[in-house]
Amino acid sequence: MSKNLIESNNPPVVSPRTSSSSVLRRGARQGALLIVVIMLIVYFGLLNSYFISSQNIQNILLQATIVGILGIGQTYVIITGGIDLSIGSIVATATVCSGIFSTHTSPVVAIVGGILVGVMAGLVNGLLIVTTKITPFIITLGTMGIYSGLALIISGGQAIYGIPTSFQHALAGKAFGSPVPILLFAFLTTLSVFVMKYTKFGEYLVAIGGNPEVATLAGISVRRNTAYAYVVSGSLAGLCGAILAARLGAADPNTGSDLLLVAIAATVMGGTKLAGGEGSMVGAAFGAILIATLTAGLTSLNVQAFYQKVAVGTAIILTILIDQFVKGRRR
Amino acid sequence: MNHQLKSQAAVLKIKNVSKAFPGVQALNNVSFSVYPGEIHALLGENGAGKSTLLKTIFGVHRPDSGTFEIDGQEVIFKSPAEAINNGIAMVHQELSLIPQMNAIQNIVLGREMMRLGTINWSEAKKRAEISLQKIGFKGNPYESVSKLSVAQQQLIEIARALSFEARILILDEPTSALTSQESNQLFEIVEKLRADNYAIIYVSHRLKEVLKICDRVTVLRDGKLITSIVRNEIQGEHDLIRHMVGRSLTEVEKPSLNTANKVEVLRVENLTIPGVVEDVSMSLYAGEIVCLAGMVGSGRTEIVRAINGADPSSTGQIYLNRKRIEIRNPRSAINYGIALLTEDRKRQGLVLHMSAASNATLPNPPGKFGFISRKKQESITAQALSLLNANFSVSKVVKELSGGTQQKVVLARWLITNSQIFIFDEPTRGIDVGAKLEIHNLMRDLATKGKVILMISSDLPEVIAVSDRVLVIRRGSLVKELVGKEITEEEVVLHATQG
Repeated sequence: MSKNLIESNNPPVVSPRTSSSSVLRRGARQGALLIVVIMLIVYFGLLNSYFISSQNIQNILLQATIVGILGIGQTYVIITGGIDLSIGSIVATATVCSGIFSTHTSPVVAIVGGILVGVMAGLVNGLLIVTTKITPFIITLGTMGIYSGLALIISGGQAIYGIPTSFQHALAGKAFGSPVPILLFAFLTTLSVFVMKYTKFGEYLVAIGGNPEVATLAGISVRRNTAYAYVVSGSLAGLCGAILAARLGAADPNTGSDLLLVAIAATVMGGTKLAGGEGSMVGAAFGAILIATLTAGLTSLNVQAFYQKVAVGTAIILTILIDQFVKGRRR
Repeated sequence: MNHQLKSQAAVLKIKNVSKAFPGVQALNNVSFSVYPGEIHALLGENGAGKSTLLKTIFGVHRPDSGTFEIDGQEVIFKSPAEAINNGIAMVHQELSLIPQMNAIQNIVLGREMMRLGTINWSEAKKRAEISLQKIGFKGNPYESVSKLSVAQQQLIEIARALSFEARILILDEPTSALTSQESNQLFEIVEKLRADNYAIIYVSHRLKEVLKICDRVTVLRDGKLITSIVRNEIQGEHDLIRHMVGRSLTEVEKPSLNTANKVEVLRVENLTIPGVVEDVSMSLYAGEIVCLAGMVGSGRTEIVRAINGADPSSTGQIYLNRKRIEIRNPRSAINYGIALLTEDRKRQGLVLHMSAASNATLPNPPGKFGFISRKKQESITAQALSLLNANFSVSKVVKELSGGTQQKVVLARWLITNSQIFIFDEPTRGIDVGAKLEIHNLMRDLATKGKVILMISSDLPEVIAVSDRVLVIRRGSLVKELVGKEITEEEVVLHATQG
């Protein structure tokens, strides 16, 4: 093109690499998480042979489901540079609504109802965030209170019992030989990986989180896509509410308060940066599994729940520290 | 200005220094000497090894092999503190003053950190005042430095460097943030320091400056020493470029003006942004490169952002191919074929953690029904980049690319969208010589294909070399149009500053 104007030798060709280093790094992180999970299982298994049984592994995965699905939803939001503090409360409202629906209508309506509650809550979050200039932290802090209040109002402050077994089977029973929640967890993780890798929506979220100015200048609808991220987070929380009602056979309006922090922890352990622009769905899933493994293991050793909390918190900090250390050495 | 070389012993000898990082040999057996009482330029493209060399001298890195000699004695510094104690001082490109403190405090405190023990404040203050005076600092040394201009802050940094009793002063891109007047003042100071027998290592991309004040030039390329020669052995800029780049590059020739067949593509009328831009009107024709010249802060970036729909407070009319259009947001600007390459590549041009392919196709990722075809994304990007003489794996994350290559990725984005009107805001800022000329050639190439190029540049040589027409903006108004031979540095500066 410009060859007649410049005398030049061919510029040196950089030897092509098939994947960029940040993808490798993320893969390494996920691999590391998996290795830690396996190590923990082996460790606890040595102390208590029941630990390695397939029944137990299944229990661990089951325990990880709710946090894992919430973590995945949170990953969408954190990638955009925001955060959703209201997911615990959405779970509470959704579980209550789902529970009520289940006692009056078919399981399908109850499930869909729970999800819809989440969709609407997420929509409110999303709209508030993109129309006001208030940071997501504050908005979702507020809606956290509102939704949890709603859950209490709708349920009259009481847990709802008598969830029909048809509903319980539908969402917490088995299908294809595995518990439905685990299948949902696996499906949603895979789906989300696909969304991030192969859809424009995923691409836009990464751009928005990485550099919102550039995203705007490139003509991306930052507001619309950001709002969608919160809708996704909300609907996944709604699904979790339905799952919880099915698993427990009861809908407790006070659920969710523990879930938020553990879900964020899973997300962050999985390699998603709170600043946005980078994230891993698989990482969030593995993070949830790691926390569930640790908790289960400590329980199997009869460690009290209080100490378990300390252990989990420490594990979270350790993961981040190791991450910093590895990054530092690379320099 | 040439300078008789004194026959003194070298104050700093760099002997066979090599340094490797994972995947790259940053320095490869580099040897040269720096003498007292000289201004020694260190040149090289981005990635040539200059900053690694400086950091190794300064104690930030340890060389894998080789040594440094100061006054004939072998030294290897384990930390910047040691380097400073041995008479080496560095003024970085990004100034490192504490903004809330005043000049005196910045100078004294820097010193305080180097020596343990108590400080005699009044003594230290006196010495700081003297340093500032010697440098020619004319501001208030007791005012907090955040209130001072960049040029003054730089003087304070130099004074601080000197207060460490440095004998070797390293200046990294000292004029990148200065006006030409301030640059001249800096040159006076640097020459005064030379007369006082300091050794000054001067790192810069501005070859004209280098030729003006330096006594000796060392050029690095790909980590190797290419040459270390005295000023009189250099014929001119093209000589330096040849050493730096390894091949001959010439500035693209401007085509002779053909005003007969001018096709108006974009016309802006009465563009006003309250308080910033005042009633600017201009026409842009196919096949020409128009430059908006002016001082920093004159409103050029704002004009261009308004054209791009990024400023809702602007008023005025825009005509595309003689038809009136409304540009409300960047999306509609893109749809009308307007491409804006912003000034700050990193902040406004690229999403650093995404791949080149993702960045290049961001406005319209290829794929149907909301899916992305990564294969198509990569092939489209590779194609556009090869037009720009860039060949690398497009799945590479752009953070890892050099400045020039990053700029090409941004340019590729707008080639892919098939834009008609390209607006470049400071396109070659911070980019080394080789890539700079390539980008100029690119702009000329685009113009030849019939595109419209609107460029904002504060780099006068660039303005002169590249523009067919220059519109000088002063305080938000268009004050002068220069065409063809009228375009000279003097004319541009004249109208940009006072008119």
